[in-house]
Amino acid sequence: MIRKLKQLCVYVLATSLLFAGFTQSVQAAMISTDQIVASGNAQQERAKLASALDRPEVQTQLEKFGISQSDAQARVAALTDAEVASMSSQIDSLPAGGNGVIGALIFIFVVLLVTDVLGLTKVFPFTRSVR
Amino acid sequence: MLLTLLSGCATQTRALLARTHTELPSQLELKATPFFPQELYQCGPAALATSLRAAGIAAEPDALVSQVYLPQREGSLQAEMLAAGRRNGALSMTIPARLDALLTEVAGGNPVLVLQNLSLPWVPMWHYAVVIGYDLERGDIILRSGTTERLVLPMSTFEHTWARSNFWGMVTLAPGKLPVTAQEAPLVDALVAFEKGSDPATAHRAYAAAVERWPRNLALLLGLGNSAYGAGNRPAAVEAFSRATRQHPDSAPAFNNLAVVLNELGDYAAARVAAETAVALDGPWRAAALATLQSIPLTQPHKKPHKKP
Repeated sequence: MIRKLKQLCVYVLATSLLFAGFTQSVQAAMISTDQIVASGNAQQERAKLASALDRPEVQTQLEKFGISQSDAQARVAALTDAEVASMSSQIDSLPAGGNGVIGALIFIFVVLLVTDVLGLTKVFPFTRSVR
Repeated sequence: MLLTLLSGCATQTRALLARTHTELPSQLELKATPFFPQELYQCGPAALATSLRAAGIAAEPDALVSQVYLPQREGSLQAEMLAAGRRNGALSMTIPARLDALLTEVAGGNPVLVLQNLSLPWVPMWHYAVVIGYDLERGDIILRSGTTERLVLPMSTFEHTWARSNFWGMVTLAPGKLPVTAQEAPLVDALVAFEKGSDPATAHRAYAAAVERWPRNLALLLGLGNSAYGAGNRPAAVEAFSRATRQHPDSAPAFNNLAVVLNELGDYAAARVAAETAVALDGPWRAAALATLQSIPLTQPHKKPHKKP
Protein backbone atom coordinates (compact mmCIF):
# COMPACT_ATOMS: atom_id res chain seq x y z
CA MET A 1 0.00 0.00 0.00
CA ILE A 2 2.74 2.45 1.05
CA ARG A 3 4.72 1.40 -1.95
CA LYS A 4 1.83 2.13 -4.31
CA LEU A 5 1.38 5.49 -2.65
CA LYS A 6 5.04 6.24 -3.14
CA GLN A 7 4.80 5.30 -6.78
CA LEU A 8 1.78 7.52 -7.20
CA CYS A 9 3.59 10.42 -5.56
CA VAL A 10 6.56 9.98 -7.84
CA TYR A 11 4.28 9.84 -10.85
CA VAL A 12 2.39 12.98 -9.86
CA LEU A 13 5.59 14.85 -9.04
CA ALA A 14 7.20 13.84 -12.29
CA THR A 15 4.22 14.82 -14.42
CA SER A 16 3.72 18.12 -12.64
CA LEU A 17 7.39 18.98 -13.12
CA LEU A 18 7.10 17.99 -16.73
CA PHE A 19 4.24 20.35 -17.48
CA ALA A 20 4.37 23.08 -14.88
CA GLY A 21 8.06 23.87 -14.92
CA PHE A 22 8.53 23.31 -18.63
CA THR A 23 8.85 26.84 -19.93
CA GLN A 24 11.15 27.98 -17.12
CA SER A 25 13.49 25.03 -16.86
CA VAL A 26 14.93 25.18 -20.39
CA GLN A 27 16.55 28.35 -21.67
CA ALA A 28 16.52 29.25 -25.32
CA ALA A 29 20.01 30.07 -26.48
CA MET A 30 21.13 32.40 -29.22
CA ILE A 31 24.09 30.91 -31.05
CA SER A 32 26.78 33.58 -31.20
CA THR A 33 28.54 34.57 -34.41
CA ASP A 34 31.96 33.48 -33.26
CA GLN A 35 30.61 30.05 -32.31
CA ILE A 36 29.23 29.65 -35.81
CA VAL A 37 32.38 30.85 -37.54
CA ALA A 38 34.59 28.71 -35.33
CA SER A 39 32.41 25.72 -36.11
CA GLY A 40 32.62 26.46 -39.82
CA ASN A 41 36.39 26.78 -39.60
CA ALA A 42 36.58 23.58 -37.60
CA GLN A 43 34.63 21.81 -40.29
CA GLN A 44 37.07 23.05 -42.90
CA GLU A 45 40.02 21.93 -40.82
CA ARG A 46 38.42 18.57 -40.29
CA ALA A 47 37.94 18.19 -44.02
CA LYS A 48 41.60 19.06 -44.54
CA LEU A 49 42.65 16.42 -42.05
CA ALA A 50 40.36 13.86 -43.61
CA SER A 51 41.80 14.53 -47.04
CA ALA A 52 45.32 14.25 -45.60
CA LEU A 53 44.38 10.74 -44.59
CA ASP A 54 43.23 10.12 -48.14
CA ARG A 55 46.73 10.55 -49.51
CA PRO A 56 47.84 7.32 -51.20
CA GLU A 57 51.09 7.05 -49.26
CA VAL A 58 49.25 7.48 -46.01
CA GLN A 59 46.60 4.96 -47.00
CA THR A 60 49.08 2.24 -47.93
CA GLN A 61 50.90 2.68 -44.65
CA LEU A 62 47.69 2.57 -42.69
CA GLU A 63 46.80 -0.70 -44.39
CA LYS A 64 50.14 -2.13 -43.35
CA PHE A 65 49.21 -1.38 -39.79
CA GLY A 66 45.90 -3.05 -40.25
CA ILE A 67 43.95 0.16 -39.86
CA SER A 68 41.15 0.43 -42.35
CA GLN A 69 40.60 3.78 -43.97
CA SER A 70 37.08 4.01 -42.63
CA ASP A 71 38.39 3.46 -39.11
CA ALA A 72 40.98 6.19 -39.54
CA GLN A 73 38.34 8.58 -40.84
CA ALA A 74 36.09 7.71 -37.93
CA ARG A 75 38.92 8.46 -35.52
CA VAL A 76 39.43 11.87 -37.10
CA ALA A 77 35.73 12.49 -36.71
CA ALA A 78 36.10 11.75 -33.00
CA LEU A 79 38.72 14.45 -32.40
CA THR A 80 37.62 17.65 -30.73
CA ASP A 81 37.72 20.87 -32.73
CA ALA A 82 40.78 22.05 -30.82
CA GLU A 83 42.63 18.84 -31.53
CA VAL A 84 41.74 19.03 -35.20
CA ALA A 85 43.02 22.60 -35.42
CA SER A 86 46.25 21.69 -33.70
CA MET A 87 46.84 18.68 -35.92
CA SER A 88 45.87 20.55 -39.03
CA SER A 89 48.33 23.37 -38.45
CA GLN A 90 51.11 20.89 -37.81
CA ILE A 91 50.36 19.07 -41.02
CA ASP A 92 50.42 22.42 -42.82
CA SER A 93 53.94 23.06 -41.68
CA LEU A 94 55.13 19.79 -43.17
CA PRO A 95 56.03 20.00 -46.86
CA ALA A 96 53.62 18.25 -49.21
CA GLY A 97 54.45 14.70 -50.21
CA GLY A 98 56.66 13.63 -53.12
CA ASN A 99 59.80 12.97 -51.15
CA GLY A 100 59.71 9.48 -49.60
CA VAL A 101 61.22 10.63 -46.32
CA ILE A 102 58.72 13.42 -45.94
CA GLY A 103 55.85 11.12 -46.79
CA ALA A 104 57.02 8.82 -44.03
CA LEU A 105 57.14 11.72 -41.58
CA ILE A 106 53.59 12.64 -42.41
CA PHE A 107 52.58 9.04 -42.09
CA ILE A 108 54.23 8.57 -38.71
CA PHE A 109 52.57 11.64 -37.38
CA VAL A 110 49.14 10.69 -38.61
CA VAL A 111 49.36 7.04 -37.67
CA LEU A 112 50.57 7.81 -34.20
CA LEU A 113 47.65 10.13 -33.83
CA VAL A 114 45.26 7.47 -34.97
CA THR A 115 46.77 4.77 -32.78
CA ASP A 116 46.73 7.17 -29.86
CA VAL A 117 43.06 7.64 -30.32
CA LEU A 118 42.62 3.90 -30.69
CA GLY A 119 44.39 3.48 -27.38
CA LEU A 120 47.35 1.57 -28.79
CA THR A 121 49.86 4.31 -28.05
CA LYS A 122 49.97 7.56 -26.11
CA VAL A 123 52.33 9.83 -27.95
CA PHE A 124 50.31 13.00 -28.13
CA PRO A 125 49.04 14.63 -24.98
CA PHE A 126 45.99 16.07 -26.61
CA THR A 127 44.28 12.93 -27.89
CA ARG A 128 41.54 11.11 -26.08
CA SER A 129 41.70 7.35 -26.37
CA VAL A 130 38.51 5.68 -27.53
CA ARG A 131 37.67 3.06 -24.98
CA MET B 1 77.44 41.10 -57.44
CA LEU B 2 76.33 42.58 -54.13
CA LEU B 3 74.65 45.44 -55.94
CA THR B 4 72.61 43.04 -58.06
CA LEU B 5 71.64 41.13 -54.98
CA LEU B 6 70.55 44.27 -53.24
CA SER B 7 68.83 45.94 -56.15
CA GLY B 8 67.35 43.04 -58.05
CA CYS B 9 64.38 42.23 -55.89
CA ALA B 10 61.87 45.06 -56.12
CA THR B 11 59.82 43.09 -58.61
CA GLN B 12 56.42 44.47 -57.66
CA THR B 13 57.64 48.05 -58.00
CA ARG B 14 59.07 47.35 -61.40
CA ALA B 15 55.86 45.74 -62.59
CA LEU B 16 53.72 48.53 -61.16
CA LEU B 17 55.75 51.36 -62.60
CA ALA B 18 56.04 49.64 -65.96
CA ARG B 19 52.37 49.64 -66.79
CA THR B 20 49.95 52.51 -67.24
CA HIS B 21 47.19 52.68 -64.68
CA THR B 22 43.58 53.44 -65.33
CA GLU B 23 42.37 52.39 -61.93
CA LEU B 24 44.86 54.34 -59.79
CA PRO B 25 45.51 58.07 -59.81
CA SER B 26 49.16 58.63 -60.67
CA GLN B 27 49.78 60.73 -57.55
CA LEU B 28 47.99 60.81 -54.25
CA GLU B 29 48.73 62.11 -50.80
CA LEU B 30 46.45 61.95 -47.78
CA LYS B 31 47.75 65.25 -46.46
CA ALA B 32 45.21 65.49 -43.67
CA THR B 33 46.64 62.41 -41.95
CA PRO B 34 47.75 63.48 -38.47
CA PHE B 35 51.33 63.10 -37.30
CA PHE B 36 52.57 61.73 -34.00
CA PRO B 37 56.35 61.78 -33.82
CA GLN B 38 57.53 58.65 -32.09
CA GLU B 39 59.52 58.42 -28.91
CA LEU B 40 62.35 55.95 -28.51
CA TYR B 41 61.25 52.54 -29.89
CA GLN B 42 57.62 53.48 -29.68
CA CYS B 43 56.87 53.56 -33.37
CA GLY B 44 54.04 51.08 -32.79
CA PRO B 45 51.95 53.34 -30.55
CA ALA B 46 52.76 56.39 -32.68
CA ALA B 47 51.80 54.67 -35.93
CA LEU B 48 48.64 53.23 -34.40
CA ALA B 49 47.60 56.61 -33.03
CA THR B 50 48.12 58.08 -36.50
CA SER B 51 46.04 55.37 -38.08
CA LEU B 52 43.21 55.65 -35.53
CA ARG B 53 43.08 59.44 -35.69
CA ALA B 54 42.92 59.27 -39.46
CA ALA B 55 39.82 57.09 -39.03
CA GLY B 56 38.26 59.73 -36.83
CA ILE B 57 38.88 57.85 -33.60
CA ALA B 58 40.45 59.81 -30.75
CA ALA B 59 43.74 58.25 -29.69
CA GLU B 60 47.05 59.32 -28.19
CA PRO B 61 50.31 57.37 -28.44
CA ASP B 62 50.87 57.49 -24.67
CA ALA B 63 47.58 55.77 -24.01
CA LEU B 64 48.40 53.10 -26.58
CA VAL B 65 51.81 52.28 -25.15
CA SER B 66 50.34 50.01 -22.49
CA GLN B 67 48.24 48.26 -25.13
CA VAL B 68 50.91 47.42 -27.67
CA TYR B 69 54.40 48.19 -26.44
CA LEU B 70 56.44 45.39 -24.90
CA PRO B 71 59.34 46.89 -22.99
CA GLN B 72 61.32 43.65 -22.93
CA ARG B 73 60.94 43.31 -26.69
CA GLU B 74 61.38 47.02 -27.24
CA GLY B 75 58.61 46.83 -29.78
CA SER B 76 55.02 45.93 -30.57
CA LEU B 77 53.67 42.67 -31.90
CA GLN B 78 51.57 42.68 -35.04
CA ALA B 79 48.68 40.75 -33.50
CA GLU B 80 48.55 43.22 -30.66
CA MET B 81 48.50 46.13 -33.08
CA LEU B 82 45.37 44.65 -34.64
CA ALA B 83 43.80 43.92 -31.27
CA ALA B 84 44.57 47.38 -29.94
CA GLY B 85 42.91 48.91 -32.98
CA ARG B 86 39.77 46.97 -32.07
CA ARG B 87 39.99 47.88 -28.41
CA ASN B 88 39.91 51.50 -29.44
CA GLY B 89 36.71 51.00 -31.40
CA ALA B 90 38.06 50.53 -34.91
CA LEU B 91 37.63 47.73 -37.39
CA SER B 92 41.22 46.44 -37.73
CA MET B 93 42.23 44.32 -40.61
CA THR B 94 45.29 43.43 -42.62
CA ILE B 95 45.33 44.26 -46.31
CA PRO B 96 46.34 41.77 -49.01
CA ALA B 97 50.13 41.42 -48.97
CA ARG B 98 50.83 43.23 -52.24
CA LEU B 99 52.10 46.62 -53.29
CA ASP B 100 49.19 47.26 -55.65
CA ALA B 101 46.75 46.50 -52.83
CA LEU B 102 48.59 49.00 -50.65
CA LEU B 103 48.29 51.73 -53.27
CA THR B 104 44.64 50.88 -53.96
CA GLU B 105 43.83 51.18 -50.28
CA VAL B 106 45.60 54.53 -49.96
CA ALA B 107 43.90 55.74 -53.14
CA GLY B 108 40.61 54.82 -51.47
CA GLY B 109 41.38 57.32 -48.72
CA ASN B 110 42.71 54.93 -46.08
CA PRO B 111 46.29 55.32 -44.82
CA VAL B 112 47.96 51.95 -44.31
CA LEU B 113 50.04 51.04 -41.28
CA VAL B 114 52.98 48.94 -42.45
CA LEU B 115 55.73 46.93 -40.80
CA GLN B 116 59.14 47.38 -42.34
CA ASN B 117 62.55 45.95 -41.69
CA LEU B 118 64.75 48.94 -42.26
CA SER B 119 67.94 46.93 -41.95
CA LEU B 120 69.23 43.64 -43.27
CA PRO B 121 67.43 40.32 -42.82
CA TRP B 122 70.01 39.00 -40.39
CA VAL B 123 70.15 42.19 -38.32
CA PRO B 124 66.53 43.32 -38.47
CA MET B 125 65.36 46.75 -37.48
CA TRP B 126 61.60 46.48 -37.31
CA HIS B 127 59.65 49.64 -37.72
CA TYR B 128 56.00 50.62 -37.97
CA ALA B 129 55.09 53.51 -40.22
CA VAL B 130 52.01 54.78 -42.01
CA VAL B 131 51.81 55.06 -45.79
CA ILE B 132 49.88 58.17 -46.76
CA GLY B 133 50.64 58.57 -50.42
CA TYR B 134 52.58 57.69 -53.54
CA ASP B 135 53.77 59.07 -56.83
CA LEU B 136 53.79 56.63 -59.71
CA GLU B 137 55.60 59.01 -62.09
CA ARG B 138 58.51 59.57 -59.76
CA GLY B 139 58.29 56.10 -58.27
CA ASP B 140 57.94 57.30 -54.68
CA ILE B 141 56.09 56.27 -51.52
CA ILE B 142 55.18 58.86 -48.90
CA LEU B 143 55.00 57.93 -45.23
CA ARG B 144 54.55 59.31 -41.74
CA SER B 145 57.50 57.59 -40.16
CA GLY B 146 59.33 57.90 -36.87
CA THR B 147 60.08 61.55 -36.29
CA THR B 148 59.65 62.47 -39.97
CA GLU B 149 56.29 63.93 -40.83
CA ARG B 150 56.75 63.47 -44.54
CA LEU B 151 59.19 60.77 -45.48
CA VAL B 152 59.60 60.14 -49.20
CA LEU B 153 61.13 56.80 -50.15
CA PRO B 154 61.81 55.36 -53.56
CA MET B 155 59.14 52.74 -54.08
CA SER B 156 61.78 50.06 -54.71
CA THR B 157 63.46 50.78 -51.37
CA PHE B 158 60.11 50.71 -49.67
CA GLU B 159 59.34 47.39 -51.29
CA HIS B 160 62.63 45.93 -50.04
CA THR B 161 61.95 46.98 -46.47
CA TRP B 162 58.31 45.96 -46.63
CA ALA B 163 59.00 42.58 -48.24
CA ARG B 164 60.93 41.48 -45.16
CA SER B 165 57.77 41.61 -43.07
CA ASN B 166 56.02 39.60 -45.79
CA PHE B 167 54.23 42.74 -46.88
CA TRP B 168 52.34 43.17 -43.63
CA GLY B 169 50.01 46.12 -43.58
CA MET B 170 46.82 46.99 -41.72
CA VAL B 171 44.10 49.59 -41.68
CA THR B 172 41.96 50.81 -38.82
CA LEU B 173 38.59 52.10 -39.91
CA ALA B 174 35.53 53.58 -38.27
CA PRO B 175 32.85 50.89 -37.97
CA GLY B 176 30.63 51.10 -41.02
CA LYS B 177 33.56 51.63 -43.36
CA LEU B 178 35.22 48.71 -45.10
CA PRO B 179 38.74 48.46 -46.49
CA VAL B 180 38.74 49.00 -50.25
CA THR B 181 40.77 45.83 -50.71
CA ALA B 182 38.77 43.75 -48.21
CA GLN B 183 38.17 40.14 -49.19
CA GLU B 184 35.20 38.16 -47.95
CA ALA B 185 36.71 35.54 -45.65
CA PRO B 186 39.29 37.76 -43.89
CA LEU B 187 36.61 40.41 -43.42
CA VAL B 188 34.31 37.91 -41.71
CA ASP B 189 37.10 37.01 -39.28
CA ALA B 190 37.90 40.67 -38.63
CA LEU B 191 34.24 41.51 -38.00
CA VAL B 192 33.66 38.57 -35.68
CA ALA B 193 36.72 39.63 -33.70
CA PHE B 194 35.41 43.19 -33.68
CA GLU B 195 31.97 42.06 -32.52
CA LYS B 196 33.43 40.29 -29.51
CA GLY B 197 34.85 43.49 -28.04
CA SER B 198 32.33 45.99 -29.29
CA ASP B 199 28.93 47.22 -28.16
CA PRO B 200 26.17 45.62 -30.24
CA ALA B 201 24.97 48.80 -31.95
CA THR B 202 28.44 49.56 -33.29
CA ALA B 203 28.96 45.97 -34.35
CA HIS B 204 25.62 46.15 -36.16
CA ARG B 205 26.82 49.16 -38.12
CA ALA B 206 29.96 47.31 -39.10
CA TYR B 207 28.07 44.20 -40.19
CA ALA B 208 25.51 46.24 -42.14
CA ALA B 209 28.26 47.72 -44.31
CA ALA B 210 29.71 44.26 -44.95
CA VAL B 211 26.33 42.71 -45.77
CA GLU B 212 25.82 45.39 -48.40
CA ARG B 213 28.93 44.17 -50.15
CA TRP B 214 28.36 40.46 -49.55
CA PRO B 215 24.60 40.02 -49.14
CA ARG B 216 24.68 36.23 -49.27
CA ASN B 217 27.35 35.53 -46.66
CA LEU B 218 25.88 33.47 -43.83
CA ALA B 219 28.26 34.56 -41.08
CA LEU B 220 27.69 38.22 -41.93
CA LEU B 221 23.90 37.82 -41.91
CA LEU B 222 24.03 36.00 -38.59
CA GLY B 223 26.35 38.65 -37.18
CA LEU B 224 23.92 41.29 -38.39
CA GLY B 225 21.07 39.53 -36.62
CA ASN B 226 22.98 38.80 -33.43
CA SER B 227 24.20 42.36 -33.10
CA ALA B 228 20.72 43.75 -33.79
CA TYR B 229 19.36 41.46 -31.08
CA GLY B 230 22.11 42.50 -28.70
CA ALA B 231 21.22 46.14 -29.33
CA GLY B 232 17.59 45.39 -28.45
CA ASN B 233 16.32 45.75 -32.00
CA ARG B 234 14.27 42.56 -32.34
CA PRO B 235 12.51 43.42 -35.61
CA ALA B 236 15.86 44.04 -37.29
CA ALA B 237 17.14 40.76 -35.86
CA VAL B 238 14.14 38.90 -37.29
CA GLU B 239 14.76 40.49 -40.66
CA ALA B 240 18.41 39.52 -40.67
CA PHE B 241 17.81 35.95 -39.51
CA SER B 242 14.95 35.51 -41.99
CA ARG B 243 17.26 36.59 -44.78
CA ALA B 244 19.80 34.11 -43.53
CA THR B 245 17.28 31.26 -43.56
CA ARG B 246 16.15 32.13 -47.07
CA GLN B 247 19.71 32.27 -48.41
CA HIS B 248 20.87 29.26 -46.37
CA PRO B 249 17.96 26.89 -45.75
CA ASP B 250 20.39 24.36 -44.29
CA SER B 251 21.66 26.59 -41.51
CA ALA B 252 20.45 25.40 -38.12
CA PRO B 253 21.89 28.43 -36.27
CA ALA B 254 19.90 30.79 -38.51
CA PHE B 255 16.64 28.98 -37.76
CA ASN B 256 17.49 28.65 -34.09
CA ASN B 257 18.26 32.31 -33.60
CA LEU B 258 15.19 33.29 -35.62
CA ALA B 259 13.07 31.11 -33.35
CA VAL B 260 14.49 32.72 -30.22
CA VAL B 261 13.64 36.23 -31.36
CA LEU B 262 10.20 35.29 -32.70
CA ASN B 263 9.48 33.62 -29.38
CA GLU B 264 10.39 36.79 -27.52
CA LEU B 265 8.19 38.82 -29.83
CA GLY B 266 5.30 36.51 -28.95
CA ASP B 267 4.92 34.93 -32.39
CA TYR B 268 4.91 31.41 -30.95
CA ALA B 269 3.60 29.63 -34.03
CA ALA B 270 6.31 31.01 -36.30
CA ALA B 271 8.92 30.47 -33.60
CA ARG B 272 7.87 26.85 -33.32
CA VAL B 273 8.18 26.30 -37.06
CA ALA B 274 11.66 27.82 -37.09
CA ALA B 275 12.79 25.87 -34.04
CA GLU B 276 11.48 22.61 -35.43
CA THR B 277 13.37 23.26 -38.65
CA ALA B 278 16.53 23.91 -36.65
CA VAL B 279 16.11 20.64 -34.77
CA ALA B 280 15.39 18.70 -37.94
CA LEU B 281 18.57 20.05 -39.56
CA ASP B 282 20.57 18.18 -36.90
CA GLY B 283 24.32 18.74 -36.59
CA PRO B 284 26.32 20.33 -33.77
CA TRP B 285 23.52 22.76 -32.91
CA ARG B 286 20.81 20.20 -32.25
CA ALA B 287 20.97 20.49 -28.47
CA ALA B 288 20.69 24.27 -28.62
CA ALA B 289 17.80 24.04 -31.08
CA LEU B 290 16.00 21.56 -28.85
CA ALA B 291 16.39 23.88 -25.89
CA THR B 292 14.95 26.69 -27.97
CA LEU B 293 12.04 24.55 -29.12
CA GLN B 294 11.24 23.48 -25.60
CA SER B 295 11.24 27.04 -24.34
CA ILE B 296 8.43 28.09 -26.67
CA PRO B 297 5.14 28.10 -24.78
CA LEU B 298 2.54 25.65 -25.99
CA THR B 299 -0.20 27.65 -27.61
CA GLN B 300 -2.87 25.06 -26.84
CA PRO B 301 -3.36 23.14 -23.58
CA HIS B 302 -2.20 19.54 -23.73
CA LYS B 303 -4.20 16.60 -22.37
CA LYS B 304 -2.36 14.82 -19.57
CA PRO B 305 -1.58 11.26 -20.65
CA HIS B 306 -3.35 8.70 -18.46
CA LYS B 307 -0.85 6.12 -17.26
CA LYS B 308 -1.33 3.34 -14.73
CA PRO B 309 1.31 3.66 -11.94
